Amino acid sequence: MSRLRATLLLSALLALAACAKRPPASDPDALQEYEQTNDPLEPTNRVFYAINNGLDTVLMRPLAVTYKTVFPEVVRGHLHNLLANLSSPVLFANDVLEAKSRRAGDTFMRFVINTTVGVGGIFDVASGWGYPSHDADGGITLAVWGLPNGPYLFLPFLGPSSPRDVTGFGADIALDPFNYASHHGWSTFNWTRFGVSAVDARARVLNETDQIKQQALDPYATFRSLYRQHRQSQIEAVESDNRHTIPNWFSSR
Amino acid sequence: MLTRRTLLALSGFALIAAGSGWLSEARAQSLSPATAQQFVQQTGDQLVSIVNGPGSTEQKKAELQAVINRSVDVTGVARFCLGSALRRATPQQLSEYIQLFHEVLMNNITGKLGEYRGVRFAVGRAEPRAVGVEVHTVVNRPENAPANVDWIVQDVGGSPKIVDVVAEGTSLRITQRSDYASYLARNGFSVQALIDAMKRQLQG
Repeated sequence: MSRLRATLLLSALLALAACAKRPPASDPDALQEYEQTNDPLEPTNRVFYAINNGLDTVLMRPLAVTYKTVFPEVVRGHLHNLLANLSSPVLFANDVLEAKSRRAGDTFMRFVINTTVGVGGIFDVASGWGYPSHDADGGITLAVWGLPNGPYLFLPFLGPSSPRDVTGFGADIALDPFNYASHHGWSTFNWTRFGVSAVDARARVLNETDQIKQQALDPYATFRSLYRQHRQSQIEAVESDNRHTIPNWFSSR
Repeated sequence: MLTRRTLLALSGFALIAAGSGWLSEARAQSLSPATAQQFVQQTGDQLVSIVNGPGSTEQKKAELQAVINRSVDVTGVARFCLGSALRRATPQQLSEYIQLFHEVLMNNITGKLGEYRGVRFAVGRAEPRAVGVEVHTVVNRPENAPANVDWIVQDVGGSPKIVDVVAEGTSLRITQRSDYASYLARNGFSVQALIDAMKRQLQG
């Protein structure tokens, strides 16, 4: 469904876009800031930020607060593990597309161990057994392939992004086997998974987002900076993971 | 698509963050990774024992302030965060700004004291960087996933000082600088506007 939707969204966004005014060359400071932030669509982005922020205040944040109040940390942790396990196929596909065989191996082992010993993914047994979790998604894969990030985008519902990340996001949805299952009840399952994931993700950053909104002079710019830095560090983590495929016990014989 | 890790950066903010610095004079002096590692261990131990220890909130705030003033190059961080506006600020504005920066930082750190009760940390390897040494730690808070926090330590005026804290890949000083840069850009690049905003922040 959503690769198309994401593309449509993106083109609609670009059509709507008002452009930030490029400062004149006579003001080098302003020009430098402008180049660094690479946010030519800032006026439009800020409109969507305001809309998202409003939706968050009346919908997502209250849901997240309720979720945290009703369920203790233990339950939330197990639910999070379960959701993470369900995203293993997409994670695995991205590990493979990044040509990181050890990461793909970790993901495979995590899925097998956590689905069986971890009772369908409720318990993350694999982390303790030497298969730690890691990040992989379509946006990271495209970055590893050398695709440039492009300008900053703040999208309705999705939040901070870029053309590269939107494309990766669409690819991830297309790669997810659960989206192709069409038996009776699957649609309910997928919508439930989507809803619970959204609330889980929101609840896990509740304190931090509250803090940013309270402490930053310009929360929009602060979120933009954090998003960019974090994505860059995820990409670097993948690129610097050059573990050998041959296990130590074999090569040391 | 902000993940929780992105935002853990900001939880790192409050206690650990304490800021970063930028003193070009410090480049000449070198700091050994072992010294930096030991320094982070000591400073971290002090912070943790204050946060988890007994005493009133007021007492803890005062103790934290002392540790931070001793171990963090707050003035250097303040100058870095002002970015290109540093050149436009008058000497009076600059000293007022640096004073406000100290207060805002302390407010941000001490305001969330309660959330850090039970915090633990483990120091990992230390690596020399182009400027200073990067010391890796893992910070554990109850009810939270472990966070990777890297401390950038530099020799400032003959003693080691923390000049930046990088939580899950996000640098505190770069994030703070972006915030101020954007505020300045939207307010006619006026340093006075920034100073006024910081004052309002402290009153609110």
